[in-house]
Amino acid sequence: MRAAQRTAELSNLQFSLLLALPVLVFLLLVVAYPLGYALWMSLHEISFFGGYKAVFVGVEHFADVIGDRKFKKSLWVTVRFTLESVALAMVAGLLIALVLNRKMRFAGLVRTIVILPWCISLYGTGVIFSYLAKGQTGIGTAIAYALGIEEAVNVVNKQWVIEVLAVGNAWNMAPLVAFFLLANLKTIPSRLYDLAAIDRMSRLETFLNVTLPPLRFTLFVFTCITTVLSMKLFDFIFVLSGGGPGTASATLTYRIYKESFKDLDLGYGAAMSFMLLALILGTTLILYGLWGRREARSI
Amino acid sequence: MKLRVTAMAVTGALMLMSGAALAEGGLEAQSGETVFFRGWQYKTDIVQDNVDRYNNEQGGNVDYATVTGDYPAIMEQNLMAGAELDVLYANPSQAGRYFDGGWIMPAEALPNIDAIKADMYPNILDAWSYKGQLLGLSYFVSTRGVMHVNLKKYYELGYSDADFPADWDALYDQLYEMRDKGLDQPFLPHWINEWYGISWAFDFEVMNRGGQVAHPDTHEPLLTTDADGAAYKTLEDWKRIWNDGLVPEEVLTYNESSYIDAYASGRYVFSPQQLYDLETFNREDRSQIAGHASLLPYQGQSWGLLDSAVYLMTSRERSDGHTDDVKRFASWYGYQDQTGNVFVGNRWMQESMLFSGYKSVMESEAAAERMKSALAREQDIQAVLGVYAATPYPKGIWSVVWAEEFNSWLKETLQEFVQDDGDIVETIEAINEEIADLNKKYGL
Repeated sequence: MRAAQRTAELSNLQFSLLLALPVLVFLLLVVAYPLGYALWMSLHEISFFGGYKAVFVGVEHFADVIGDRKFKKSLWVTVRFTLESVALAMVAGLLIALVLNRKMRFAGLVRTIVILPWCISLYGTGVIFSYLAKGQTGIGTAIAYALGIEEAVNVVNKQWVIEVLAVGNAWNMAPLVAFFLLANLKTIPSRLYDLAAIDRMSRLETFLNVTLPPLRFTLFVFTCITTVLSMKLFDFIFVLSGGGPGTASATLTYRIYKESFKDLDLGYGAAMSFMLLALILGTTLILYGLWGRREARSI
Repeated sequence: MKLRVTAMAVTGALMLMSGAALAEGGLEAQSGETVFFRGWQYKTDIVQDNVDRYNNEQGGNVDYATVTGDYPAIMEQNLMAGAELDVLYANPSQAGRYFDGGWIMPAEALPNIDAIKADMYPNILDAWSYKGQLLGLSYFVSTRGVMHVNLKKYYELGYSDADFPADWDALYDQLYEMRDKGLDQPFLPHWINEWYGISWAFDFEVMNRGGQVAHPDTHEPLLTTDADGAAYKTLEDWKRIWNDGLVPEEVLTYNESSYIDAYASGRYVFSPQQLYDLETFNREDRSQIAGHASLLPYQGQSWGLLDSAVYLMTSRERSDGHTDDVKRFASWYGYQDQTGNVFVGNRWMQESMLFSGYKSVMESEAAAERMKSALAREQDIQAVLGVYAATPYPKGIWSVVWAEEFNSWLKETLQEFVQDDGDIVETIEAINEEIADLNKKYGL
């Protein structure tokens, strides 16, 4: 009798799946349909001129993408931009969190000011950094003029445009990283710092042995989040550099936009977007394998 | 003279006839449906005011809004999706593609089309016609790439009007002379980061030098790789002035307004700019070279290309009554109002010195007066008209379905060519190959 009763009960997993069912159905509709449609497009040559036509071409688009010189260049631009963005956002976020964790006057006001960049849309961030970085209106030119140098300083050029983009992207993301790290920092008992002082630990040793360990999982999570956000970033890049000069800042998202919406090659653009999806999934899996799994175990 | 009078009389009669025909149907909106009117951002307050006048006087229900960002791509998506869009701005190079997509209704559908055509300059009519049909009504006509000259700086360097370069070769030679006289960057090229930037700069320089990028009818690639060819000489000079630092590197990042501001700052002597921006550069409140902004006259070689825009009507699904209202508004806005005046065209001439495709606007006393007031010198009127009359139109690469795709590809290719010190022959061959591929793609 007892055994029969036990089997009628839902397990924890079953219960949680039941609770998640509406969300799963919603996701299926919102995510699966567009994803499926994109897959269908990637396997077809779609034409709008002389009447709408969709001709099945199999994996031809995928093969073409792999051999495409522009795709390879955009892949490298994306990787470089992502690495720089993530490194800057994480370091800046950590530093901001450490500063905000200190006792200070007007802490609430400071925190409000610090979070502001995150509240600005990526379009707005693009406009701001465009003004700041271009020679005609930029901060470099203003400083140069103040120093008596009558030459515009333009950093939206082939050499530095990726760095400009990475700084702008990090400026936008770092406050979010900082606030989550700050929340973590607030949970560290102050007695641990007292014990570190008794042990005569240096500032660096205290940071490495007391402060950093509880932050490591959050750092991993936000490294993943900022990586994904950077890889799929478009509007900021479109506004600031338009993928240029030339193709110097043409990331994969920009290339997909160009193929799909300027050249109207929807099938090819869709195939390229699956490459980007694979890159995002692959990167996060590698991050998890190398770092996340270890951090998850240590919680 | 007799012939001219007769032609004018015929034109006038046609206009009167069409006016009467329109009066029967009237320009007043009838259906009560909203007519969605979209365009790029240029003096939007004036456009809104024009639309308000139509709505107030003709009972219209026109909804006007602007589109920011990559205009051709955004409009194409809207047209393809059958979005709420009835009348829109477009360049002729986009119009042909939209027509082939089946997304627009040619201006031929207007009841007063004969009068409209009769009032249009033949070369403009030809530029705006695609597959034998006039696609849109006149928004503006201009010469983009006309060579502006900052007279103040030019005279300071010891030159006079007699030294004005007659062609591109002479211009580049003079840039080097100017550098020797101590002006490091005398030239602001049209290599801006707009979709019509560096690619159009190449198109017009090749045409100005007597070349053609593609055949006007067959669209076959026509660029040659010989050292005397127009494309070769263009790219060779671009490499030279870029590598020698005669142009500011940041021009590659400019948008239109940055480009205008940079030239208005007075730092440069020459810059290929929009013809109507002579008015901007001669305005005290807008420019530091006001009163000194002039242009190089036509001396046997053209400058720039024919840049124009039209008002198009979409062919999206609508009721007949709604479509008639779209035609009424398009006709009122793109040609004559209820009094027979080309109201919007004349207003643009007065506000911004925008040229029109209509003779009735361009040959009016008011237009002549407006041009005089916008120019630095009396004699510049002749220079403006001379350059304008000689302006070529790149039919081979614009009146074709792949125009925008090619333009976008060319922009990237040329920006890379300049920055990477690209190979001239390889670049020309790549351009020809791209055109051939596009022809193949669209079965041309």
